[in-house]
Amino acid sequence: MQEKATPSVARKDQYAVMKRVFLYPAITLLLALSIFPLLWSLGISFTDFQRGDQAIQANEGEEVSGGLGFNLTLQNYTRMLTDERLHATIRNTFFYVFAGVIIQYFFGFGLALLLNQHFIGRNLVRVIFLMPMMVTPVAAAYTGRMMFDSTISPLAQLQRTLTSMVQSIGAALPGDFLDNAVVSIPWLTDSFVAPLTMVLIDSWQWIPFMTLLLLAGMQTIPDEIYEAARVDGASSWRILTRITFPILLPISATVILIRGLEIFKIIDVIMVTTGGGPGNATESLTMYIFRTALTFGNYGYASAISFALLVAVIIFATLFLAGMRRVTPR
Amino acid sequence: MRKKRTFLQSVLLYATVLFWCFIVLFPFYWLLTTSIKTQISVSRGPKYLPSFEVPFITIIDEDGNEVPYTTPGDFTPTGQHWQDLFTRDRDEVVRHFRNSLIAASGSTILALIIGSMAGYGLSRFKYYWGRLGWDNENIAFWIISNRFLPPALFVVPFLLIYSRLGLIDTHSGLIIAYTMFNLPFAVWIMRDFFNGLPIELEESAMIDGASRVTAFLRIVLPLSAPGLVAVAIFSFVFSWNEYLYALMLTNFEAITMPVLIAGQNNTRGIQWWFISALTLTAVAPVVVIGLLLERYITRGLVAGAIKG
Repeated sequence: MQEKATPSVARKDQYAVMKRVFLYPAITLLLALSIFPLLWSLGISFTDFQRGDQAIQANEGEEVSGGLGFNLTLQNYTRMLTDERLHATIRNTFFYVFAGVIIQYFFGFGLALLLNQHFIGRNLVRVIFLMPMMVTPVAAAYTGRMMFDSTISPLAQLQRTLTSMVQSIGAALPGDFLDNAVVSIPWLTDSFVAPLTMVLIDSWQWIPFMTLLLLAGMQTIPDEIYEAARVDGASSWRILTRITFPILLPISATVILIRGLEIFKIIDVIMVTTGGGPGNATESLTMYIFRTALTFGNYGYASAISFALLVAVIIFATLFLAGMRRVTPR
Repeated sequence: MRKKRTFLQSVLLYATVLFWCFIVLFPFYWLLTTSIKTQISVSRGPKYLPSFEVPFITIIDEDGNEVPYTTPGDFTPTGQHWQDLFTRDRDEVVRHFRNSLIAASGSTILALIIGSMAGYGLSRFKYYWGRLGWDNENIAFWIISNRFLPPALFVVPFLLIYSRLGLIDTHSGLIIAYTMFNLPFAVWIMRDFFNGLPIELEESAMIDGASRVTAFLRIVLPLSAPGLVAVAIFSFVFSWNEYLYALMLTNFEAITMPVLIAGQNNTRGIQWWFISALTLTAVAPVVVIGLLLERYITRGLVAGAIKG
């Protein structure tokens, strides 16, 4: 879509100078803040650089004479192969990405279908749907923690009510059946349930994102297509699977990719709700990197893992895009 | 003509929509009520509805005494936590709120200026980076791809660079870091908006003697106001809500609201009532922005995600 200015104008406004003036501040900033730190980090990942080494340098203002204060090594990368905790965080992160994307896309699509109908109060509902997206993730996490608390939350009360109901049914039944049954889901304290709770909190925030974008996509589909299908006697289900869904595939691919890449970075929600626990059951890769760097001060290893994360992200995005290109009708 | 819904379908539609609205709104309601509960009301299981004394209306109880009428509810509200927030903890809260405001506005302004310039450049000039073989499309894609780099990649280098430059725990440090994250999206959205404006607008102005910069400032920018608003909202909300970098790059003076909230866990134990009040304070500005400027947000999202 780039259009070249006509020659007469080009001469007058110093085309060659202007094109640099407009673009280069952004390029410079990104080079300085993105590419340069990336390369530096890559370098650090091949050293045994620790927090202490940095302190020596910072105190003296100059690099320590006779050496850099750290050694070149490959041990960060070999350590990754045997680090059980790292493997667990990678599994957790992939669980978050896949479970999150599936849940959010499924509900987002359903809600978009609803909002695409005409009904009273539709605009108000759209605004309400937008609210969770604006909320600070840390705040959403605290609220989620309150919602899923095992004693003070409405959910806990509901579980207690269910328990007494089940037990009274059990009392009415002959034998010990259900007499001591307890309905209690350990939302935040069980190593199988807690990761799912993280996904639920994230989904509460981001289903609206899917909904709004898919809705925008649905509204670009002309009514004539639907009419033609109905004239041919297609059922609503058939229209959904053969028209709406295929037309939305490119947009679906984009929103799923965006959400997937975002969930790869998940940390706030987990930090606040479980702190990575129970054990390391909910710890994400980003969180592990952050702890390795800040808590343990192991900069070399933290850099190495973060590059592993980058590779994982790139593989995910490339495979996903390649897969979508096959599926998407062109 | 749209297909007529049956009555049952309508009922299902409204029921589902209402159910989802409940899921969205209930946490906000819960925050609000928890912030006016006493410690006992919180710890003695969930309480749902505050009962207020209605002024000027009294009723006679069984013993014949006049007592003030109270609305039905299962707990008596207290304003204590909000009062604490604005008296006892006033300095702390105000400082962190101000920090958030400075960091978010600063990076928003930078992203707007630099982002709209680059967006304009990519929309109006033809670039070709011979060595990489990149044209405008490649450059734009490279810029937006920065937005999706995992922030964890930058933890170590930013810590090192920032402590070298003395940027740890400063407002400028946060502003610079956030600008890096906001800029790609700003460029992307603004480029899309500029692509939608006919180039003849500037050309005719420039034939009349206006310089490129004047044409950009006086003609192009005002016409792309919706794009600027969308960029401003996204940048502001992102920076306001950001946690990881704020935690990493600040330790006292420049701490922002999300870090303050997350820290409540350790310093005071879990005081849900106080955290709720604090959380509402932190969330209120961005939610209000969202409610007021909903159409710009949707439009910006569409420009950013679908057309891109």
